[in-house]
Amino acid sequence: MTQLLLDIAPDWIPALDNFVTGRNVELLSALRHALAGTAGERCFYLWGETGCGKSHLLQAVMGQARTAGQPASYASGSVPDKGLLIAVDDVEALDAAMQITLFELYNRVRENGGLLLVAGKVAPSGLNLRGDLRTRLGWGLVYQVHGLDDAEKAQALERHALARGLALPPEVTQYLLRHGRRDLPALLVTLDALDAHCLRLKRVASVPLLKEVMLRRAD
Amino acid sequence: MPNEFLWDSCLHFFKDNLPPQQFNSWIKPLVFELKGNQITLTAPNSFTLKLVQERFLPEICKRAEDFLSGPPQFDLRVGKKSLAPTAKKTTSSTPDVAILFPKVQKSQNKLNPLLSFDSFVTGKANQLAHSAAIQVAEAPGTIYNPLFIYGGVGLGKTHLLQAIGNHIKHENSHAKICYVHATNYVSDVVRAFQTKKFDEFKQFYNSLDLLLIDDIQFIADKPGTQQEFFYTLNSLIDSHKQVVITCDTFPKEISGMTPRLTSRFSWGLTVAIEPPGLEMRVAILLQKAVLSNSPVSEDVAFFIAKHVRSNIRELEGALKRVDAYSRFHKRLITIDLAKEALKDLLASQNKQVSIENIQKTVADFYRIKISDLLSKKRTRIIARPRQIAMCLARELTPLSLPEIGIAFGDRDHTTVMYACKIVENLRNSDTAFNTDFNLLNQTLRN
Repeated sequence: MTQLLLDIAPDWIPALDNFVTGRNVELLSALRHALAGTAGERCFYLWGETGCGKSHLLQAVMGQARTAGQPASYASGSVPDKGLLIAVDDVEALDAAMQITLFELYNRVRENGGLLLVAGKVAPSGLNLRGDLRTRLGWGLVYQVHGLDDAEKAQALERHALARGLALPPEVTQYLLRHGRRDLPALLVTLDALDAHCLRLKRVASVPLLKEVMLRRAD
Repeated sequence: MPNEFLWDSCLHFFKDNLPPQQFNSWIKPLVFELKGNQITLTAPNSFTLKLVQERFLPEICKRAEDFLSGPPQFDLRVGKKSLAPTAKKTTSSTPDVAILFPKVQKSQNKLNPLLSFDSFVTGKANQLAHSAAIQVAEAPGTIYNPLFIYGGVGLGKTHLLQAIGNHIKHENSHAKICYVHATNYVSDVVRAFQTKKFDEFKQFYNSLDLLLIDDIQFIADKPGTQQEFFYTLNSLIDSHKQVVITCDTFPKEISGMTPRLTSRFSWGLTVAIEPPGLEMRVAILLQKAVLSNSPVSEDVAFFIAKHVRSNIRELEGALKRVDAYSRFHKRLITIDLAKEALKDLLASQNKQVSIENIQKTVADFYRIKISDLLSKKRTRIIARPRQIAMCLARELTPLSLPEIGIAFGDRDHTTVMYACKIVENLRNSDTAFNTDFNLLNQTLRN
C-alpha cells in the first residue's frame, strides 16, 4: 500500500534573502537599493542563461515591493498593464505589440518614476527586438546574472532541502550534481520529487532513492 | 492655468499607474487647490489623508516642482468636497482635450530640459543636423520646414528634437510646443476616432507653434493616421509653424508611407545623423560623466568608447555600469576597474562580431561568395566589398591589421590600410556608399 501525501509542502516564495548570491553580490546590492528607492537608476536589465536565477530575482523584488504596500507587477513574456514597479521576464518572447507597450513603459518610467526590471537570455545588443527598445534596455543598468558553481549549487540544494524539512546527506547532493541536469531549477524539482518519494516510503534520503526518482523522471 | 495642468498631470499619472480601485479610493476623492505655491489637498477622512501623505505626496510634490516657479508648500486637511467649490470645479471638470490627449498634454509640459543644444556633443557624424536644428530653433517656421532628421537608433535624434523645443520654449515661453512620439500620435488619432472628437484633435494640433514628432516610421502602414498627419503637416506649414520630424531612414525609403507624405517630408531640409566615430564617443562619454557627477579620465572614456560602439544609449549604459561598480567596490574609476565592470558585456559583444561574421554579412549584402572575398580577384565588384569588410573588421574587431590581412586571403597589412583609406574617401564623396557602409556597420553591431 502506498502512503498518500497531503499537499502541505511549504510554499517556496522567491525572495532576495533566499537567493544564493554566488558571484552576484553587486547585483543583489543594486536590487536592494532599487527596492529602497536609493539606486538612482530606474531601469535595470538582467541577462543570463536559463536557470541562472533571473526570474527568482524579478519575482523577489516585486514580491517584496508588494509586501511593502507598493503597486508592483511581474509578468513573463508579456508586459503588465498596472503598477509603479514592473518586472518583465523573458523579454525575447514579447510580440510586436508587446514590444511597443514595453517601449512606452520604459519611456514612462524614465520620465515619471517607478522601477522597471527586464530580464532576457542575452545582453541587450544581442536581443532580437525593435532597435529602439533594444537600445533602451542597454541604457539603464545592465547586469549579467551569473549561474552558480557546483559548491554554490550544493549550498542552494541543502538550503532548499532544509526549508522542506528534508535531511540531505552530502553524498546525495554530490550524486545529484554529478548526474542531474546542470540548471538549478531542474535540480530543485528533482529534490522536491526525492522529498515526496522519501515521505511516501517513510525512508531517509539516500543515493538509491535518488536514483529511483531520477529514473522515474527520465521515463 | 498651472492649477488645472498640475492636478490633471497628477490624476493622469496615478490613473495610469495605480489599480482602478486604489485610484478611485484614494486619489479621486481628493480636492486640490492651488494659490501661488501653496497646494491644499483635502481628503474625505484622516485615513485617506495619512495614506496620501505617505505614498503619493512625493510624486505630487515632484510634479508640482515642474509646474511651479518655487518649491511647493503643502497644506493637507480633512474635509468635505462641497466645502471647496473652486477646487471641486478643478477636479471634476477636467477639460476634454486633456482627457482626450493626456499624453500630448503631458509631453507638452514635459520637454526634458536636460536635452539642450549645450548638452549635445557634436562631431562629424551629426554636425549638419546640429547646425540645421539650431537654425530652425532660432527662426522657427521660416527656413527649413519641415526639418527631417534621420538616422539609426540611439544616435541622438530625440535629443536634437527636444533641444529645438527647449530652445524655442526658452526664447518664447508662450509658444505652444508639442513633442510627441509617433506611436502616441497614432493612439491620439485612434482615441479621437473612437470618441468622435476629431474636431478637438485637429484643433489641438493645428493650434501648435511647434510640432516635434519622433520616429515617424511608426505611422507606416496606418493610412488613417497618415491622412490626419498629412492634413496637420499641411496646415502647420501653411501657417508658417515649424514641424520637426525624426525617422530611422531617408523619407523615400520608408515603406508603407503614402508618396504624398514622403514628398512633403522632403519639402524642407533632410539631414542625417550617422553613428559617432571614436573621438565623438569619447567626447560624449566625458560629457555624460560630468553631467552625472562622476567624472572619468580620458583614458577610461577612450577604453569604454573603443569597446562599446553600437549606439549612444549603450555607451551611456556602460558608463553607468562602471560608475555603479566603482561605488559598490568603493574604488576609483580606472581602466582596470572599467575592464572588470564591463567584463561580461564585452565578452558578450566579442562573441557576436567575428571576422567570419563580417565576411558573411558583407558577402550576403553584395551577393557575392565569401570565397570571392578571400580570393585574389581584383575586379571592382569583388574588391570594393572586400575593402568594406576589411574596414569593418578594423572597426569592429580587436584584431591587428596583419591579422585582418591574413584573414582576407593572406594579404599584407598595408593592403588593409589602403582599403580603409579608400573606404573613408568614398564615404565622404559618395552618399549611397556611405549609407550602405552605415547599414552594414549597424547590422553587425546589433
